[in-house]
Amino acid sequence: MNKLLISTLLASAMALPAAAETLRVGVATAQTGALAPFDTPVIDGIHIAVDEINAAGGIDGKIKIELLEKDVRSDAAQTSIATQELVDEGVSVIVLPCDADPSLAAIGVVTDAQIPAISTCASSPTLPQIGGDYMFANFPGDNVQATVSAKWAYDEGHRSAYIIYSPDTQYTTMPLYFAEVFEKLGGKMLGEDTHTIGQQDFSAIATRIAALDPQPDVIMTSTYEPDFPSMLKALRAAGVESQMIGSDGIDSPTTFSLGAVAEGLVFTTAGHPTEGSELEAFNKKFEEVNGEAPQTVFNAVGYDLVKVLEAAVIAADGSTDANTLRDAIANLENVQGATSTITYKGTNGMPLRSVSLIRVKDGERELIGQPTPDASLIPEPRVQ
Amino acid sequence: MFTSSRQHFIAAALAIVVLAVAGVVIAGLFGAAAERVLTVFFISLIAVTGIGVYSGNSGILSFGHLAFMGIGAYVSGLLTLPAGLKMATLRGLPDWLAATELSLVPAIIVAVLVTAIIALLIGIAIGRLEGSAASIATLGLLVIVHGVIIGWRDVTRGAQSFFGVPRDTTLLVAAVACVIALIAARWYRDSLSGLRLRAGRENAIAAKAVGINVQRERLIAWVLSAAIMALSGALIAHFLGAFSPKKFYFHDTFLLLAMLIVGGMTTVTGAISGTILITVITEILRRFESGMSIGGFELPAVFGTTQIGIGLLILFAMFRMSEGVMGLKEWEERVFPYKPKRGKAEALAKRHSDDRLKVDHVAMQFGGLRAVDDVSIAVNPGEILGLIGPNGSGKTTLLNIISGVLKPTEGDVVLGDRSITGVAPEKIADYGIARTFQNIRLFPTLTVYQNVLAAALSTHGGKNAEERTGAALARLGIDERAGEDAGTLSYGEQRRVEIARALACEPTLLLLDEPAAGMNREETDDLIDRLKVLSADLGLGVVLVDHDLKLINELCDRIVVLNEGRLIADGAPAEIRENPAVIEAYLGPGKTA
Repeated sequence: MNKLLISTLLASAMALPAAAETLRVGVATAQTGALAPFDTPVIDGIHIAVDEINAAGGIDGKIKIELLEKDVRSDAAQTSIATQELVDEGVSVIVLPCDADPSLAAIGVVTDAQIPAISTCASSPTLPQIGGDYMFANFPGDNVQATVSAKWAYDEGHRSAYIIYSPDTQYTTMPLYFAEVFEKLGGKMLGEDTHTIGQQDFSAIATRIAALDPQPDVIMTSTYEPDFPSMLKALRAAGVESQMIGSDGIDSPTTFSLGAVAEGLVFTTAGHPTEGSELEAFNKKFEEVNGEAPQTVFNAVGYDLVKVLEAAVIAADGSTDANTLRDAIANLENVQGATSTITYKGTNGMPLRSVSLIRVKDGERELIGQPTPDASLIPEPRVQ
Repeated sequence: MFTSSRQHFIAAALAIVVLAVAGVVIAGLFGAAAERVLTVFFISLIAVTGIGVYSGNSGILSFGHLAFMGIGAYVSGLLTLPAGLKMATLRGLPDWLAATELSLVPAIIVAVLVTAIIALLIGIAIGRLEGSAASIATLGLLVIVHGVIIGWRDVTRGAQSFFGVPRDTTLLVAAVACVIALIAARWYRDSLSGLRLRAGRENAIAAKAVGINVQRERLIAWVLSAAIMALSGALIAHFLGAFSPKKFYFHDTFLLLAMLIVGGMTTVTGAISGTILITVITEILRRFESGMSIGGFELPAVFGTTQIGIGLLILFAMFRMSEGVMGLKEWEERVFPYKPKRGKAEALAKRHSDDRLKVDHVAMQFGGLRAVDDVSIAVNPGEILGLIGPNGSGKTTLLNIISGVLKPTEGDVVLGDRSITGVAPEKIADYGIARTFQNIRLFPTLTVYQNVLAAALSTHGGKNAEERTGAALARLGIDERAGEDAGTLSYGEQRRVEIARALACEPTLLLLDEPAAGMNREETDDLIDRLKVLSADLGLGVVLVDHDLKLINELCDRIVVLNEGRLIADGAPAEIRENPAVIEAYLGPGKTA
């Protein structure tokens, strides 16, 4: 009799967590290493969203979100290990680091486990393309960003361009998309240079570009810190005055603290807090929680990610089953995030989101526009 | 060829298998997560063992072995990657490679072979470096291979993730591979090459003097260890499914070296213990890293806790147990002390040689110092020649010239009708010349038996090595201590081990550099008796350097005297005692009366 009682108790105790309405989210992101400048603000944004939802009783007022966090040290192998551990812990969805490369390392694990995974802010369209059904991104794609910036450059009257990229990661090859679009529009490419991530010394490239005659109207790169500031300073020191165009990787406090050298710099990113926008509201909320205003859009991108998960759970009628969630995410339309509306339906996992063009003016961000690019201009994703 | 107790090897192999099986069974009870931790443990252990095969046996700490792990990972990954994915992500691959799609085991075999060949080439290039220069060279190797992997984008995807490798490394595969690697490492330790290499690690000069080619043995260990690293690399590649060059760089080098150093570099037992210890501590610290609550008290997340913890552990191990927690012996060597078979003194037969050793107008110049100046002496077969002179008169230099350690700046050393000037020191023993050293140069952490056996195995093609070893030990009366570590013996006993080791080379000429130094009267008398018997029984020629004139006078047929590098007297003991030049050299001028 006793035995029966104990086993009944045990069985009910074991059944309890499953019955409890909780969405277990595995978070394997880069809290240290090269990607930390992006993943740490994203995680701050995720926490704000999760706390907000849980304080309101959970998703749909009943499903609490539980985060299981691990540091992957910006490393591919570590991402694979951490993802596997999260799978072992039975999470329903996994959040992966900000770059396609470590995220690609988790493909095998999430595909085998059939658990949907979303990269915090990887923007390479090749990630969901190679990653298959279970891999999603949470950022405007590189090809879309490059299309926006190339179109802007051409419309501004710039006719010649030069690109500097690094073949070390998918993301840093974004300028190749830029070149493709810029030429398609009728612009002329004057040349290209490559560098390695962490190179620091860009004097050779700067000298080469300074020697060009005529000088390129624009120079496009998707290099980010700590390389980008060195590159920019080297170019300006060599006397290169071309319009610099960057990408979301430089949407960080560092860029706005560079002073005169960064003046006039234009880059694409995920959003801008226009008056009355969701992002403005988010920024207020962020300031309430943290005591200071967000310094980068990546905080809001983290918030977006949780809103996507929330929408998916609601769309799945409160299910936290991994496969059901995957299908729900893949069919989401116009989810209102902090930076933009987000649509996965009809894509391969690379969401449709708005792109904001920002100019650095007096050390502050100035919105140039939030154009929707012409679909026929957007290059096909490809592995570089 | 196996140089130690077969029982030890069998005990070790059995224990390895039992541990592996027990690990697999226990992990099976705890579920998938535990199985994965154990799989990583097995793969790490293979790598730690691989580094140990080289670093432990040669005494040269290698920072570069993860380069071989990386090569193994990339080569095997390229072979197993699905052809479709290869076409999509590695468009620069040659067609034959892009179309190749092997399964795990053949891919591992190819990866191990390719890595071994690369290691052989690198080993030939850097093998002549010694000590810390060799360690730094391995560091260079790590950096270079890392650079090549990053630079060779068409094949490796450069710094980007190499992904899509089939995740075929199951717990069972890792366990079997680990058992193979551990048994290979344990076998190597007591193999002929392993014993020679360990002797070289303990004392390179003495090892050469008994015929050991340390560089060659080092190369063998280097290639074997690289092959084991490649095995580990191939397994980790097929466990993770994705990796980048970073995986085979400083971070993991540090982690694996920590395991090896904490456990004890020179033994397989040490490699196993260190890997267990660090894995357990890492697993515990990793849980602290992401923050947790203990009894309602919230600990903040501190990323990096693991590295700090391991660093502290290394410091602790170095302060408390600088040889690692398991010390210098395998567990089975401690639990079952080995008593080598006693040999018969008669097994060393009388050897006769008609070869006369002629030192012909030899000079040795060290910068401005002429340590040996135009010295000519001859040693007749079977003769005991005393070589005396004040400190700094060039006696040891002369012995070093005869034994090939030094190449004379002028003159010639001739044995019979063959010149042996400039013959490598490790080849001199096979000419029938063996020696001892002024400062004892034993292999202190090897047993007395192994000290002598290493010499016997490395001379005369290793024929009858065990008989020669037993006989040499019996001749010197130290067979009682055969199973003990040479370094633990008393001074007098160590001197006798050194002579036994030289004797095991079956020399026709024995060079003894101050064999009685530090001995008391009784020990010296005993030594005199033994040397007399040896010379009579074996027909052995001896060149004896000593300051003990009683020893010299009683033993020597003839005495030559050196002073300030020059030969000042040559004759029978009685003549030398009366020679005014000798008296002056020893006592100073004006004391001849």
